[in-house]
Amino acid sequence: MWSLTDPRVGFWLPLALICLATGFWLTDRKDSRKKLSGVTFFASITLIVLFGVNTRGGDTPETALLAVLLHMLGPVTLMAIGSLIATFSGPSPVGPLPRGWRPLGFLMAIGGLFWIGWMLISAPPDSIANGIGETIWGTWVDVFLTILILVAALAGSFCVMMGEARHKEAINLTILTLAGAMMFVEIMQNGSDGLAASGWHQIHWEQMMFLLGGLMGSITAILAFIALVYMAEKRAPDPDVVAPLTEEEKSVVDAVLRLNLELEGIEND
Amino acid sequence: MTEERESWWRPILLLMFLIAFSMDLFVWQLSGGTEFSSIVERLILGFSLAFGITSFALLLISIGTLHQHARWKEQILGLLILTNLGLCLAYWQMESSIDAVRSEGVMLFSGMTAMLAAVGLVFGLLLALVTGREHIQDPLLELNSTGGDVALELED
Repeated sequence: MWSLTDPRVGFWLPLALICLATGFWLTDRKDSRKKLSGVTFFASITLIVLFGVNTRGGDTPETALLAVLLHMLGPVTLMAIGSLIATFSGPSPVGPLPRGWRPLGFLMAIGGLFWIGWMLISAPPDSIANGIGETIWGTWVDVFLTILILVAALAGSFCVMMGEARHKEAINLTILTLAGAMMFVEIMQNGSDGLAASGWHQIHWEQMMFLLGGLMGSITAILAFIALVYMAEKRAPDPDVVAPLTEEEKSVVDAVLRLNLELEGIEND
Repeated sequence: MTEERESWWRPILLLMFLIAFSMDLFVWQLSGGTEFSSIVERLILGFSLAFGITSFALLLISIGTLHQHARWKEQILGLLILTNLGLCLAYWQMESSIDAVRSEGVMLFSGMTAMLAAVGLVFGLLLALVTGREHIQDPLLELNSTGGDVALELED
């Protein structure tokens, strides 16, 4: 029967419920479903947490994924909070944080990246040390580093191309690209603690291409959805033509406007 | 200036392509290569699975937002067909194994979260750097308003 250790109940069902909750959240604020969105969302998160608590890393791919996400939560949170602190402690008019916090923000953001680097040279926890967990963890790191290198290089070159003396931004993003590239070269040449270089090569060829296809598939699905909405809207009948105001209606409108704009008083003066 | 900026994306795109190609070439050189057919196979598998899962997610969101004035037939039925198409294609490619579909679906989530984290880090830092720029004060901002009391001196 259904139990919380079943990944269909503990993982895939909550994901489907989160999508439904997003739909509820997008409804009109007077709609009763709007209130259900929060409840549905928290129920889904509770189900996922209970599933994670009741299973162990090697049990299923879903548990291994949760273990990897939990493992990466620290550095990703550090990077996100660091970026926010650095942004809101700048000279921006919406910067309520003290200016002295800005270096701390940058340190936290870069610290998150170094944390991931440190994970690569230290022994991984048991939940992601073998089998599917190791592959999922390797995929996460390989994709993260590849996208980091590409997007940081893109953003840096964009700063240079746009001109207006954005050298500081370009230099910082180049440093980020080089840091990512060094980590990538290291794991591909010498491997990491617990995963040999050949394992990283296999993950790169199998999973990177799979995810590249996945990215294209997701974008195509979104474009197909836009096309469906366009088709639906295009087939919608034209709204009925409304007859112009009668003389009587015009006089009512005129009276209301005069009353609200106090034009009568001005005219009398 | 405008003419120079029109083609900014071409050299950047070329640079991206060169970096991605160099990374793959580097791994190729270290690993001794891989079969091209298996790369294409993985690419198609990822495409069909992600297409099916994304369509299903959009279908659920659409069901959640349905209202009496919505033109739901095209949207819901269309997404239902697309979901079935994507997931059935992925199921068939994985030799009708639900466990394989689950496992690859998990891999897809892992990769997508990694992509989001990397993009978030880069654009977060870029935002922090760009908003931290000090600008030369505009002298017009230091002028005080006269409240409409203006005196013009006309020269002969």
